[in-house]
Amino acid sequence: MTSLNTAPDLTGRNLSKRRAFANRTATLLIGLCVLIAALPLVLVAWEVVTRGGSALSLGFLTEEIPRNYRTAGPGMGPAILGTLAITGMAALIAIPVGVLGAVYLNEYGKNKPLARFIRTMADVMTGVPSIVMGLFIYVAYVVVIGEKVGFGGSLALACLMLPIVIRSAEEMLRLVPDELRQASAGLGARKWRTTMSVVLPSASSGITSGALLAVARAAGETAPIIVTVGLTYIYKPDLFYGENTTLAAQIYRNATQPFAASQERAWGAALTLIAIVFLFTIVARVIAARFAIDKR
Amino acid sequence: MKLNRRAIIGGITAGTLAFGLAACGGGNGDEEGGSGDLASGEINASGASFPDAFYAAAIEAYAEVNPDLMVTYNATGSGTGKSEFGEGLNDFAGTDSLVKDDDGVEAGSFQYIPTVAAPITVSYNLPGVDALQLPQDVLAGIFVGSITTWNASEIAEANPGVTLPDTAITLAVRSDGSGTTTNFSKFLEAASPDVWTLGSGDTIEWPGNAVAGEKNTGVAQVIQSTEGAIGYVDLADATEVGLVTASIENADGAFIAPTLEGATAALAGATVEADLSYNPLNAAGAEAYPITAPTYILIRTEYEDANVAAGVKEFVNYLITDGQDLAADNGYAALPESLQEQAVEALNSTIAD
Repeated sequence: MTSLNTAPDLTGRNLSKRRAFANRTATLLIGLCVLIAALPLVLVAWEVVTRGGSALSLGFLTEEIPRNYRTAGPGMGPAILGTLAITGMAALIAIPVGVLGAVYLNEYGKNKPLARFIRTMADVMTGVPSIVMGLFIYVAYVVVIGEKVGFGGSLALACLMLPIVIRSAEEMLRLVPDELRQASAGLGARKWRTTMSVVLPSASSGITSGALLAVARAAGETAPIIVTVGLTYIYKPDLFYGENTTLAAQIYRNATQPFAASQERAWGAALTLIAIVFLFTIVARVIAARFAIDKR
Repeated sequence: MKLNRRAIIGGITAGTLAFGLAACGGGNGDEEGGSGDLASGEINASGASFPDAFYAAAIEAYAEVNPDLMVTYNATGSGTGKSEFGEGLNDFAGTDSLVKDDDGVEAGSFQYIPTVAAPITVSYNLPGVDALQLPQDVLAGIFVGSITTWNASEIAEANPGVTLPDTAITLAVRSDGSGTTTNFSKFLEAASPDVWTLGSGDTIEWPGNAVAGEKNTGVAQVIQSTEGAIGYVDLADATEVGLVTASIENADGAFIAPTLEGATAALAGATVEADLSYNPLNAAGAEAYPITAPTYILIRTEYEDANVAAGVKEFVNYLITDGQDLAADNGYAALPESLQEQAVEALNSTIAD
């Protein structure tokens, strides 16, 4: 009877030799796979930091972009501003529309034919190459207004982000337990009220991280930006007037030249872009943690 | 999602119109404060990547001449540059090839302005052999695949006194569609139509001993790493990588090494058409390097905005006059005087003051 009081032995010390061997081999293999998976990530980070680190300085972050590839020295300020403004505007367009779309799909549409159609289309759109979105905006917006502007890039990125935001937000809304909705209804709240003050806050941290994935993907897009946004060397805070540029476009432009000065700038821009996305992720995680209704 | 998207685009268009009008109003106000005779504002251009390094250097130098005029040149490739020109998205376009019917540019809406040219080298990797001479038929024979070893009698005959190894020839060619390939194959087509049977264009069906690399730098890399390789690379990249280049027989029968002087001589020997387009490939002249590629700027015959017209005129004028001094430093050949005068004349008559 005393055996009931002792905790079961989980250390594996009493396992048979064969099982112990299998256990150890599996552990070793899994560890090895983790190493192999982490290796490219570490190498990329190492390469970008060592190569880009030497280019980085205060001047690099604030000065205008040199007009000549051969000119050594700093300057990516306009591209940093462009990345923030264009991606920010794209997020402003895509995230509200995408989240509201997901609310329709999960709270109202459910399995209606329209909702099913939208869901399928969003899945298909996730796999569409980014250049297709760029060309769509080029034809539907840039050619129509007759000018390349930063806002065209925002529209293209918003089109890219929209399906990702819709699908990830819907998954998060689906995880909110029905009991919460029923409890809210039982207290007399209307459906919109329930959605606004119970369902969305419960899912907020998941929705934020989904939206962030979309923003991070958009910030690194090159092809649609080159097609719709053009090029500039100076600060262009107005997205509706004049051509603009982003870090990703500058990486492409500078890295394809044979000159050492431009390649160093490309590495610096790559490091800056990674840092921006990284910073953004952390900030959003903090926000999400603060707003989330406490998890069970 | 369809509904959503329609709603966004509607809202966006309204918003853009309002913002755009406000911004334009502000912009015009600023421009009146510009200095003296010099133009001010913004000029956007796009097109060929081949002259990009020269244009970038000229844009930087020009910013010191007239800081009020902002010029951008986006190296999107000749094809994109031309189609954007047709759509009215750029103020001038750069192109290595002439405008064709399906490029989206309306006939009569543009004027060619030649800017610079550059030699395409035939570079090779053969240790101990550093001054190869290649007659046109032999060059065509090598690239068509009928001459397959370096000690072939055709090559030996043209290079008396040179000990050639029996190494197999590997062709280094472009994997991507390229204006360099177009110009190189057009040269072979013009130079030895009997031997060269593969046609001309952005891509060629190369024979089996070809190894492809991406862009000029990729081809240069193939040549550098493969003993017995021969390929076509622009002069700037061949010099950068340190490749050995062959002297090519020109139309006058002389063997000319790829240099900027040789390219300038080829420009002088080329027949210039009435529209200022010209073909320096296999041009006449004892000093002319036969594989010289031209590049042009397309300007509009009519500009809606007088400010933009003045800006384009001012910058392009700089490019073909004072800016020519920057060409040699960046690996391009300047225009010969006669062509330069014609270009300035065409610019002045196309965009009136």
